[in-house]
Amino acid sequence: MGKNPSNLTADEIFDRQVHRIGRATILTCIILALSIPLMAAVVFGIMPPIGPLISGIITVSSFMIPLSIAEILSFYPILGASGLYISYTTGNIANLKVPCAAIAMEAAEVKPSTKEGDIISTIAMAGSVIVCELILVAGVLLLVPLSGCLQNPLLKPAFDQILPALFGSLGAYFILKNYRLAVIPLVFGILFSIANLNTAIAVPLGVFISIFGARVLYKKGLIKA
Amino acid sequence: MNEYLEIANSGYFYLWGAVILLVIMIQAVLFTRLAWKEGKRIGLDNKRMLKGLRAGMVSAIIPSIPIVISLVAMSAVLGVPFPWIRLSVIGSAPYELLGAGIGAESMGVESLGGTGYTELVFANSVWVMTIGAMWSGLLVFFFLKRIKKQYKKIENRDPDWMKIITGAAFFGVICVFLARPVTAGGLPLITVISGAVLMTGCALLIEKFKIKWLREFALPISMVGAMVSAVIFAGILS
Repeated sequence: MGKNPSNLTADEIFDRQVHRIGRATILTCIILALSIPLMAAVVFGIMPPIGPLISGIITVSSFMIPLSIAEILSFYPILGASGLYISYTTGNIANLKVPCAAIAMEAAEVKPSTKEGDIISTIAMAGSVIVCELILVAGVLLLVPLSGCLQNPLLKPAFDQILPALFGSLGAYFILKNYRLAVIPLVFGILFSIANLNTAIAVPLGVFISIFGARVLYKKGLIKA
Repeated sequence: MNEYLEIANSGYFYLWGAVILLVIMIQAVLFTRLAWKEGKRIGLDNKRMLKGLRAGMVSAIIPSIPIVISLVAMSAVLGVPFPWIRLSVIGSAPYELLGAGIGAESMGVESLGGTGYTELVFANSVWVMTIGAMWSGLLVFFFLKRIKKQYKKIENRDPDWMKIITGAAFFGVICVFLARPVTAGGLPLITVISGAVLMTGCALLIEKFKIKWLREFALPISMVGAMVSAVIFAGILS
C-alpha cells in the first residue's frame, strides 16, 4: 500500500492486476444482476410490496451471509485469488471450477499451492467458464428440443447420475494419490450424508474438519507436503 | 394462463442476459491473458499452459449438463432469461430454487408458479434470489485482499503447512459430494464405483505406460463411461 509502483516486485504487480480485474468485473456483474429486479420495477411496473420484500431479503441474507463467509474461506486455499474472483462471478464452484482446476494442474504437471499451479488453474477456470457459458447459451436457444432429449427415458439415468460420475472419477484419482489426507474428510462426509446435512453447511464444515485433521497428522509427522 | 411469464420471458431480460454474458467473457479473457503473461515470465511454456487451458475446457463440458437441466426445470416457473442469468452469474441450482421459494413464501404464496403466483410474487422471488446471490460476490469484492493477506501469513510462517491446507480443503469439498451417492446406494453408488474404476484405469495407463495426453481427457472419458454404466444398470435393475 502506498508504495511507488516502480518499487513493486513482479509478483506484487501481478497480484495488483488480479485484484484490479477481479474487482472491476465482479462489481460490474453485481450491478448488472441487481438491475434485473429494478428493470422489472421500472419497465414493467411490478414492484413487490415493501413488507414481504424486506422480510424475504432478511430471511435469505440471514443464512447467505454466514454461509458465504465460510465458503469463501474454504475455497481460497484451493482456488487462489484470481480463481475466487472467477468463481464468485460465475458460481458453480464445487461442481465445475474445482474439478477443472484440479485436472488441469495434473495435465500441465504443476503442483497446487505454487505460483505455477495458480497460473494453470486460473487459465483452466477461465476456459471452463467460456465452455460452460456457451453450453448454457445453447441450452437457452435449444430449450424445447433439449428438454425432450434430457427427459428421454433411456438416457435419463445417465443425466441423473452426472454428479456421482464426476465425483467418483475425481475422488478415485486424487484419493489414490494422497489417501492419508482423504480418510478423515471421507469419514465425516459419509456421516454428514447419513445425517442428511445440507450441502451448503456440509462443505465448509467438511473443509474445516479436514484441515483440522490434517493439522493433527502433520504435527505427528504422519503426512508431508 | 400465467401472465407473469409474458413479462418473465420479455426481450429486455434476454438482452440484459447477453450484456452480462459479455462481461463474464471479458473477465475470462482478461484473466487468461494476465495469467498467460505471468506464466511466461516465471518460465511456463506455451505448450504447458495450452494443456492446462484445454484440460479446463474439456473437463467443463459434461459437468455443465446438470446446469442446463436446472435451467430447463426453472424455466417452467420463472421463464427462460432470468434462470439463465441467475445460473450464469454466481449461480447454483439448489440455492436458486430456495431463493425463489423464500421470495414466494414472504408473499404468502406456497408453491412456485402455482395459483396465486402473480407477477408481484414473481418480482419478489427475483429480488430475493438476486440479493441472496449477491452477498458472496460483495464479500469477495470487499474482503478478498484481506483474506489473501491472512493466508499469506500462514504461508510465510510454514509453506509446507499451507500446501497441506490446500490439499485438505480440496478433499473436504470433494468428499462431501463423493459421500452422498455412496450412502444413497443403488444406481448412484454403482455410478460412483464405475467412475472410480475407470479413472483408476486411466491413472494406471498414464503412470505405468506414460500415455501423457490421456491426462487431459481422463475426466470426460471416465465420466461418460460411468454414465453409460448408469444406463446399463438402470436397465438391469428395473
